[in-house]
Amino acid sequence: MAKGPGWFDRFVNDLPERRWFQFLSNIVVVPFWAAIDPRPKLPGGARPAVQPSESLQRMMNLIMPLKNKSPVGRAMAAMVISQNIDEIFTGLDNVGTIHFARFIIIDDKLCMLSVYDGDFSNYIRDFIVAIGNVFDGILSQVEDGDDVIPTRDNVEKFIDWVHDRDLFQLPDFATDIFALQDAAMNRPAGSPPHSLDELPRAMILQLKANPNFSLGGGYRGYAGFSVAQIRQKFGLGW
Amino acid sequence: MAQHDSWSDPRGLAARFHLSKEGEPEIATDLIAMTLPEYFTPTVDTFLAFAEMAKPTPYRRESAWRKIWDLLNLKIPQPDPYPGEIISPYEGAMDYARSNDFSKYSIYQVSMIGAPVSYARAAYHAVHTFIVTGQDGTRRWVRFTWTPTVGVLPRDQNEKPQDHYLAHELRHRLSKGAVEFCLMMVIGEVGDDFADSSRAWGSQRQRVNMGTLTLDKIAEDQLADCEHISFNPMRLIDGIEASDDPLLRARLETYEASRKARDGAVCPFSRS
Amino acid sequence: MSKTLNLNELQGNILRGYRADLTHVRYLLLEVVDLSDARRFLAASIEGVTPGVPKLTTAAHWADKKPHMCFNIGVTYEGLKALGTPASSLATFPIEFVEGMTHRSLKLGDFGPSAANQWPAPFDRPDRLHLIATIYAVDRSHLDEVQDQVAQAFSVLGVRDARARTDANVLGPQYAGDGSPNNRVFFGYADSISQPKFNHLTDAQPAKTSDSSPLGTVLLGHPTRMEGVMFGVPSPKVLGLNGSFNAFRVLAQDAHGFEQYLDQAAEELERALGDRMDQLLPVDGELLIGFQKGQRREALREIVAAQMCGRWRNGTPVANSPSHPIFDIPNRDQAEAFNAFGYQAPSACPVGAHIRRTNPRDGAVVQRGSNLSRQMVRRGMPYGPDFDAAKPDNEERGLLGNFIGANLGAQFEAVMCDWLNLGLLHPDITGLNDPLIGANTPETSAFDLLLLDGTSYRLRGFPRFVQTRGGAYTFLPSLPAIEYLSKLKSR
Repeated sequence: MAKGPGWFDRFVNDLPERRWFQFLSNIVVVPFWAAIDPRPKLPGGARPAVQPSESLQRMMNLIMPLKNKSPVGRAMAAMVISQNIDEIFTGLDNVGTIHFARFIIIDDKLCMLSVYDGDFSNYIRDFIVAIGNVFDGILSQVEDGDDVIPTRDNVEKFIDWVHDRDLFQLPDFATDIFALQDAAMNRPAGSPPHSLDELPRAMILQLKANPNFSLGGGYRGYAGFSVAQIRQKFGLGW
Repeated sequence: MAQHDSWSDPRGLAARFHLSKEGEPEIATDLIAMTLPEYFTPTVDTFLAFAEMAKPTPYRRESAWRKIWDLLNLKIPQPDPYPGEIISPYEGAMDYARSNDFSKYSIYQVSMIGAPVSYARAAYHAVHTFIVTGQDGTRRWVRFTWTPTVGVLPRDQNEKPQDHYLAHELRHRLSKGAVEFCLMMVIGEVGDDFADSSRAWGSQRQRVNMGTLTLDKIAEDQLADCEHISFNPMRLIDGIEASDDPLLRARLETYEASRKARDGAVCPFSRS
Repeated sequence: MSKTLNLNELQGNILRGYRADLTHVRYLLLEVVDLSDARRFLAASIEGVTPGVPKLTTAAHWADKKPHMCFNIGVTYEGLKALGTPASSLATFPIEFVEGMTHRSLKLGDFGPSAANQWPAPFDRPDRLHLIATIYAVDRSHLDEVQDQVAQAFSVLGVRDARARTDANVLGPQYAGDGSPNNRVFFGYADSISQPKFNHLTDAQPAKTSDSSPLGTVLLGHPTRMEGVMFGVPSPKVLGLNGSFNAFRVLAQDAHGFEQYLDQAAEELERALGDRMDQLLPVDGELLIGFQKGQRREALREIVAAQMCGRWRNGTPVANSPSHPIFDIPNRDQAEAFNAFGYQAPSACPVGAHIRRTNPRDGAVVQRGSNLSRQMVRRGMPYGPDFDAAKPDNEERGLLGNFIGANLGAQFEAVMCDWLNLGLLHPDITGLNDPLIGANTPETSAFDLLLLDGTSYRLRGFPRFVQTRGGAYTFLPSLPAIEYLSKLKSR
């Protein structure tokens, strides 16, 4: 029977917890791998699927760095939202496919998080028609937003802009990331084959390319129903 | 034989629903579930190839140098064997996963599945697709999962390994009160492969709460009331049918062989 | 913007369909191999005076100079690249077009046997599919002649023949299987009855009614149905303006499977409806549907076919006439009036019916304001051998579909992935796909037949009747844009 672990084994087992090792990994090992085996930035948002439920209650996680990174800038962003409550409710009532929308400021970033039904670009397009001016107000506060103002005149460009800033959603099944990376690099899936122990590296390098992730496509308490179905069921009109 | 309860491994939960009324011939349906949410492979042939490849091989602790190499490669070093663990399917399974994409997720999951602190604190998946018929005649392709009402709680894998605790824990827990599981049914949709149990369904499918299983006592005579019961995933009452999943069909024979090996009773209401 | 359109500058297949006697149709799937040959051909096709090069058909009225042949082209994104369009211009095209139909096919419901990786050549190589040329002609020899001419300038990767229907009064006294296959598509329906109409050729007064659609529905650079919102016009303006986009689809129809399913459904209804039968097929209802007394199963088949489509097979809208088709509409004006129906509740047409999903008219939809904004022009032509229900075979046949609009994402894709499949437009059908052409499997499909008393009966277990066998997104450039492309210098 083999001997128990010696001091060196114990030392190595603890390496991932050591600050100095983490530091070295971060400035040497990860950049090294990112240089020789880079992963492309993966597109954000929910991916198309045949299953109807996967087109319902989809998540949008839009992260927009503010132009003015100070309490003043954050307050200006807060004001845009608070001055447009009528517009926002009108949009909710008429676009008809939105479950929840939230605006959050985190570290000089304005985040717009929503749960919606159906196709992403039509969701955004319908919103521009209904409340394009609110988007214009938001865009005036964030980096690169001026490129797509007014949204009414830049519909396609704005949809791409949002898509580009919508967080990549890690698949429900983590190992599916290999196939997404292959597709983004125009390689047939699984060629060359991926070893399972490369999953941590695939994940680390992807998080280097997309620093912010949505972990999974979200978890739902009553999955598989649209806004209109729920409103109809409870007699709220749709 | 030592039961290495704290080792990382899937656990199972087989339930038999006795559905006949007083005085009627006995009818029942079985539901066999495990803590892994999908199988390793979709077909019998691939399963045999997997079983061959994932045969346990001698398992030794990875050298410290090898672990450093892994870390530099942004890989997670292979876990150290448990005391007394001298063989493992780890290497063969990893090789299999490399060339078979369908098995990647299940092997990834099983490699991290750990052990529950209690049989009552794990979720159990029946994995295969079944066809259930509603009262209005509607047939739905579904999968079942037992979820413990007190929640899932895995054991801390850094703790010292411990044998023989699960049965004792359950006995102790039941002495204080009953344990409950919700039976959740997930409804399959267009685009789902109902014959492939190596692929779990995504988190967006509709989930229906079908009822609660209350576990209030442990059979006194384990041999007679447990070991000798021959569970069979194809024992299904009217209203539940097996899907075309080839592994589900193959399990009928496997369970029969296993029953013989355990000297279990022939199923008293076997339809064959 | 209120400048009157110059019809000579538009390709002729966008605003209207071609004359009924141009019954032979051919699609040529082309690759640019010699850039100078391709450019010379495009330049010459505008004037149409060079021998050996067909003239592009414009939207100009023909008056009494009716041609024997019409010729039009669409260019894929790969085609624009191959013709040397500068990157700065390519970057202004919308993402749907840039990615192409192959890449976006999952969104269109193409999976399993319909998946893009199952499409036959030349659709397996979207990188080589550069142009799709369309020829309409009175006879086959004209098709061959033009194909030979085109082959001098491009590599012909594939040829698909189809036939146009006659443009007869489809509400007339015809009936499925009456020996007039040319005005019907497979499955036996009269098709292409209701289209957006463009009655005005200026933008000065954008149309507000469903009778007439704003030009921006199909032409880039004009007002759309969406207030204050226009679709982006690719630059330079000469390339983008007055262009349009087309979703070209090869849709194989399982005519035999469809008729078999109707048998199965009729049998099920006879068995299951019991007392409620009167609410679907009133006493002697089969006579009004065109059958002999007692042919109730035959009548039930037609009711299922009618409700799934939203029209009886002769074209009568179910919304207008829920229990039988109408055979005696004397003239075209009355036919048009009859077609101006709506879906105001309570409608006799099931919400899940094909034509109601694809064009909800004035019916309530979840996405308010989208009732008309997703409308597009459809031009479909049957291909493959005639189908005889008495002697069924397994030959491939179906429809070559063209779905034309100013924005693929806002029109074709929006309808395909939100409404036709998924059924997001109405809570009663959300989660269910179109019964006729949707991405169905027998395990999951369902359709609610509407009974006369307003209750419904759910049919299940029908397969997918239409499989996708290829397709591409093309840009339909204006004639000035084709001239621009022909004069590019790069590459």
